[in-house]
Amino acid sequence: MKKILLIIQREYLVRVRKKSFIITTLLFPLLYVGLIFGTAYMSEKGTTRLKIAVVDSSGKFTQARIDKENALDNSSTLVLLNENVDSLNKHFEDKGYDGYAVIPASTVIENRPDRIVIKSNRTLGLVSGVQIKLNNIWNEIKYEELGIDLEKRQLLNDSKLSVQAENMKDKGANGDIAAVIGYISGFLIYFILIIYGSQIMMGVMEEKTGRIAEIMVSSVKPFQMMMGKIIGIALVALTQFFLWIAFIFIIYNATKSGSVAGDSNVSQFVGGVQTVFTSVNVPLVVGMFAFYFLGGFFFYASLYAAIGSAVNEDMREAQSLSFPVTMIVIFAIFILMVAMKDPTGPLAVWGSIIPFTSPIVMMARIPYGVPGTVPYWQLGLSIVLLIATFILTAWFAGKIYRTGILMYGKKPTWKEIIKWALRK
Amino acid sequence: MITGIFYPDSGSIKFDGKSFDPANDSSKIGYMPEERGLYKKMKIGEQTLYLAQLKGLSKREAVTRINQWFDRFEMSTWWNKKVEDLSKGMQQKLQFVTTVLHNPKLIILDEPFSGLDPVNTNLIKDEIFELAKNGATVIFSTHRMEQVEEICDHIVLVNKGQKVLDGTVKQVKQDFKENLFRISFAQAVPNELSGADFLSIKKQEDNSLIIQRNENRSNNEILQYIINQGFSIESFNELLPSLNDIFIRQVEGTPLARRFQNLN
Repeated sequence: MKKILLIIQREYLVRVRKKSFIITTLLFPLLYVGLIFGTAYMSEKGTTRLKIAVVDSSGKFTQARIDKENALDNSSTLVLLNENVDSLNKHFEDKGYDGYAVIPASTVIENRPDRIVIKSNRTLGLVSGVQIKLNNIWNEIKYEELGIDLEKRQLLNDSKLSVQAENMKDKGANGDIAAVIGYISGFLIYFILIIYGSQIMMGVMEEKTGRIAEIMVSSVKPFQMMMGKIIGIALVALTQFFLWIAFIFIIYNATKSGSVAGDSNVSQFVGGVQTVFTSVNVPLVVGMFAFYFLGGFFFYASLYAAIGSAVNEDMREAQSLSFPVTMIVIFAIFILMVAMKDPTGPLAVWGSIIPFTSPIVMMARIPYGVPGTVPYWQLGLSIVLLIATFILTAWFAGKIYRTGILMYGKKPTWKEIIKWALRK
Repeated sequence: MITGIFYPDSGSIKFDGKSFDPANDSSKIGYMPEERGLYKKMKIGEQTLYLAQLKGLSKREAVTRINQWFDRFEMSTWWNKKVEDLSKGMQQKLQFVTTVLHNPKLIILDEPFSGLDPVNTNLIKDEIFELAKNGATVIFSTHRMEQVEEICDHIVLVNKGQKVLDGTVKQVKQDFKENLFRISFAQAVPNELSGADFLSIKKQEDNSLIIQRNENRSNNEILQYIINQGFSIESFNELLPSLNDIFIRQVEGTPLARRFQNLN
C-alpha cells in the first residue's frame, strides 16, 4: 500500500510540476474568457458600419424619426435624402454611402408592403440591423396612424404568450438550464477522458520503452504500477478542475466587488446563478459529476493503460490500437447532444446505462431531475454497471499490462491481447 | 522469474531457505537490467530516492545512503540533473547505485560493464567485490569470459536455454585441463626432449616449450628428467584453459561460438 502511494505521488508531482501543466491550467480559462470577449469585440469592431441613403416614396419616414433610431443603434447610419433615384444611382458612392434604399410608395398599413431593397455595388452581407431600424420606425408610424397611445403600446408589447414544458414529478426543473449544465458537465468529462487518457497511454509507453518497467516489477506488482499511474493522473485532472473552478470564483468575485458592481451583466449573472440553484439539484449534480467523472476516468484509463502496455515505441501503433476506444468516447458526445434535447428518449436512456457511454450521457440527463427525468432504477443500474465494468476492465487491463509491459518486438494483434487478458 | 519479469513454467523458487515471496523479498533483491531503466526526464536525486523508497527504505535513510554512494562515485553534483543529460557510462553508474542502494542480499547484474570506461569498470568491479565480501550474493551475466575469470567464484554456462556447464571457476578449469605445461630454459631449447616418451611437444619457441604431459605421469618425473639431462629451468607452469576456450569448446558449432572464434 505504501508503494502504491509512492507511485501515485511520483506520477502526480512529475505532471503537476511540468511547465505544460501550469500553462494549460492558466491558459485554458484565459483562452476561454478571451474567446468569449474576443468574438464579441471582433464582431463589434470587425464589421463595417453601413451608411445607407434612404429615399422615401411613402412620405412617412422623417429625418427626426430616423435620427432617433440612429442614436439608439450606431451599427448603421441611415440618412434621408430627397433626391432623384437615377442621379443617386450614379453618385451614391461619391457621396460616401455604402448603398441606397427606396422605401416604396406601397408602404401602407392596409396592405403588405413591398420588400425594401438596398442597392449597392458590393455585397453588404447581413442587413438585419437596417431591417430592425426601419421596422422600429415603421412601428412608430403604425401606432401613430392607428391612434394607439403610449400606454396601449406598452400593453401590446408586454402581453405575450409563453410556452414551457413542465415535468409533473419534478416541478422545479428548468429545461434550458438543465441542458446547459448537462452539456458542460458531459463535455468536461469527455475533454478529460480524451486528454488524460492519452497521457496515461504515453506514460505507460514511456515506462515500457525506457525499460523502467523491468526495474519497477522487481519492486512492485504490475497491477500496483498501473493503478498508481491511473490514480496519480486522476488526481492531476482533479487538480486542474479545482484550479479552474477557483479561477472562475476569483474572476466572479473580482467583477462583483470591482467598479462594475452596478453593471447589469453582473446582476444578471448573479440572478442566473440563483436560478440555477433553485431549478437544479446542485448537490446531486455535483455528486454525480464526481462519481461519473471518476468512474469513467478509471474505466477508460485502464483501457488506455492496457493499450499503452501492448505497443512499442511507434506512435502510429498506439494510435491505431487506441482509435476504437477514442471513437467510443466521441460517439458518447453525439449521444450527449441527443440526450440534451430529448433526455427521456431511448437513445439517451440506453446511452446513460451502458457503461461505455454512461459517464458522459448520464450527465446530460441528471440536471433535468432525479427521479423526474431519470428514474431511480436507471440511475442505480447505471452506477452499478459502471462500477462493475470498471472493476472488470481494471482486472483484465492489469493482465494485459502485466504481459505487455515486458513484451518487446512485434506489434500484438487484438487476438493476442485478448489472450493475455484471459490468462490466469 | 526472481525479478517478476517471467512466469515460471513449473517448479518453485526458494530464497534464504524459504519459499520466495515477491511482495516481501523484493526488497532484498537488486536487479540491474542490461538496458537502462530510468525515467529520462526525471531529476537524478528524486529518481534515486523514488526507486529506493519503492524498495522499502524510509526517506531519511534513503537520502543518507544516496549521499554516501554519490560521494563515493563522485556523483554529488548530479542531484538536480536529468537522466537524459548523462552519458551512457554515467547512466550506468547511476543504475548501479539504484540497484545496490538498499543493501540487497541478492544482486542480479546483467552485463554491468557494457559502455563503461576502464576507470569506472574498476570502480564498479571493486564495489561488486566489496558487496560480495559483505555477504551479498551476486548473480552476474556477461559474455566477457575474462571478466568471469576475474570476478566469479561459481559459473554456469547456458547455451540455447540449456545449462552446459556448472561449477566453481577452479573446478571447471581443472575439469577441462589438457595437461599442458610451459617450460622456459635459460638456454636454447634442448633437442633431447623430443625423444622422451612421457610427453609430447605441442609448440617450440626460442627458449621455451609447450608440452603435453602424457596421462598417468607426474610433473616431478618430467622435471627430474630435464634436471638429470643437465639443463637449467627458468620456469615451469601449468597452462590451464581460459574460460574463453572452454566456452568455445562447449558451444562449438553454434552460431554464437563462431562469433567468439572470430574474436580470437
